Amino acid sequence: MAETPVDVLIIGAGASGAAFAWSLAETRMRIVCLEQGGWIQQADYPTTRSDWEMDRFAGWGLSPNGRGRRDDYPINDDESPIKVSNFNAVGGSTILYAAHFPRMHPSDFRVKTLDGVADDWPIDYETLAPFYDQNAQMMGVAGLAGDPAYPPKEPTLPPVPLGKLGETLARGFDRLGWHWWPSDSAIATREHAGRAPCINLGPCIMGCAQGAKGSTDVTYWPVAVREGVELRTHCRVREITVDANGLANGATYVDADGNEHHQPAEIVVVACNGVGTPRLLLNSKSDRFPDGLANSSGLVGRNLMFHPYAYVMGIFDEPLEGYKGPTGCSIISQEFYETDPSRGFQRGYSFEMVRGMGPVGTALFGMSSGRLPWGDGHHEAYERIWDRTAGMVIICEDLPEACNRVVLDPTLVDADGIPAPKIEYRLSENSQKMLDHAVARGTEVLEAAGAKETRAEAPFVPAGWHLMGTARMGPDPSSSVVDRHGRCHDVKNLFVIDGSVFVTSGGVNPTNTLQAIALYVADYMKRNLANLLD
Amino acid sequence: MTDLDSLRPTLDAVLDELIPARGDGLPGAGGLGIGAHVVAKLGDAAPFVAAGLAACDAQARERGAEGFAALPAAERRPLLERLAVEREGFLQSLVFHTYTGYYQHPRVAEAIGIPGRPPYPDGYELEAGDLGPLARVRERGKRYRDV
Repeated sequence: MAETPVDVLIIGAGASGAAFAWSLAETRMRIVCLEQGGWIQQADYPTTRSDWEMDRFAGWGLSPNGRGRRDDYPINDDESPIKVSNFNAVGGSTILYAAHFPRMHPSDFRVKTLDGVADDWPIDYETLAPFYDQNAQMMGVAGLAGDPAYPPKEPTLPPVPLGKLGETLARGFDRLGWHWWPSDSAIATREHAGRAPCINLGPCIMGCAQGAKGSTDVTYWPVAVREGVELRTHCRVREITVDANGLANGATYVDADGNEHHQPAEIVVVACNGVGTPRLLLNSKSDRFPDGLANSSGLVGRNLMFHPYAYVMGIFDEPLEGYKGPTGCSIISQEFYETDPSRGFQRGYSFEMVRGMGPVGTALFGMSSGRLPWGDGHHEAYERIWDRTAGMVIICEDLPEACNRVVLDPTLVDADGIPAPKIEYRLSENSQKMLDHAVARGTEVLEAAGAKETRAEAPFVPAGWHLMGTARMGPDPSSSVVDRHGRCHDVKNLFVIDGSVFVTSGGVNPTNTLQAIALYVADYMKRNLANLLD
Repeated sequence: MTDLDSLRPTLDAVLDELIPARGDGLPGAGGLGIGAHVVAKLGDAAPFVAAGLAACDAQARERGAEGFAALPAAERRPLLERLAVEREGFLQSLVFHTYTGYYQHPRVAEAIGIPGRPPYPDGYELEAGDLGPLARVRERGKRYRDV
């Protein structure tokens, strides 16, 4: 079934697709976005129910493989020590992200020049700075100006409260004389653009029933749709199609009833994340592109970067009120962010504090760690851990390696029979050294903050939130997939705007940067509409 | 009626052993009615757990009681510990679902000092915290590299 042709077809309604759609809407072009998931209703989020903590074992867990939702697609990550955590819906993975919203550093775009590793980006911090600012307004970024770890920037909203837990951990950094700062967070700490203020529900990573968290279903999309962008949900794209001249001419997709359609388009924009995008390009084979679309370099799917995470937690003597407040947003430390060769590894990492657990999470932690016996002594043991845990995740920069990649699984398919992705990934020696350093320093700071006992997990297995590098940006068609404007070298009317285009990963959450890139690409298109395809 | 339904008094007595009553008057897991939650959640483990509970009753009868629930309190825990060894895994899923059911109960939430309700819609108040020490972070100066 053929559809009416459109000017721009966006595939994916997550972080980058939403920002791009909103920005381009002012052109009044005919814009359609196809999204394989649907709208999530705020009333459906777990914190509206007494058994909310158990939902992480079912429909609101991190892995798409365990949730049992038709809107997700399976991912074979058996050959990876880090498991993919994404979500498919309007809003994409921002539905379940922690909303920690740091920018990358200026040095992150110049790693070859500064540290002799990987490659420099073809764009820099100054290029993205105005789009970071634009994104801060739209996503509603809370924070505190003056962080010496960054060039000057102005958050839109007051910072997320530290709470007793954040204050306790900040004391540890302070005692060691290390950097710390209130987190930049995409959380409405006061009413912002129609969003209700945060009421400290707790588990942002299970969705925000209040609508205070900046997921793009409540930030960009309502405005973009109002401005005329058509968002079609439950439409899963099978392949991007090409014409006789090798130009993209639309996409074939399957609707919720299993009917196949073709949406013709003048320009196709891919925004499916660092796993979904290479999957789609590799599934879009044709006589002209037998190895997958835009893949003459052979790099589609290669150079996959996660951020190897460490998780370090401590048990304290005092109650920390850690069950309330945004889970992943209180303070950040970038004491070890910039390269110091004396540490034995290149590049660096961020500490991001994590609040405590709810009553059930505490019980299960106690059970799995042998701290909570049944029978006599149960209640006394529970009191020793309840509301006394605090910790941090440590986000290590992952350098690109061609052997780390996304390929098509030979047998695994999604609910519509479309080949699913397979992850082939190993931790580099540099990453392992960085993790070891990070765990030691994380333990040190928890002890300085007063923890009487600590434990660590590295790599933190379920932490495959950040998916980058699989359609990398660069000036040379033989060593990159897209140019500095996100345009595929091989197909001039095909653009990629998600984390796939990252050249390196930095040591921070990527959502703010990938949205800034999407806004930057949209801005480029708007400025060059008259001759974009010449 | 499933095996577990007919074994409900035994299940409740076992749950009271897993999480006993608190000193402040809060009942144990059985007395609090967590049994219904456990039965609903056991899934494929239900027959195995039912067999374990039946064994509890059988061993209690060998000691002259009508069943596990009628056994003197001092004899229940040793019997359970022995059965946990003899029937490997018998208590594992039972403990898991008992803990999850118990710690999401509103009365337990209140007993440990938080409101007995879901987080939404009332949420929580959170202290702003002391940002004064940031002055020392500022004093240490710029922490990013120029390029």
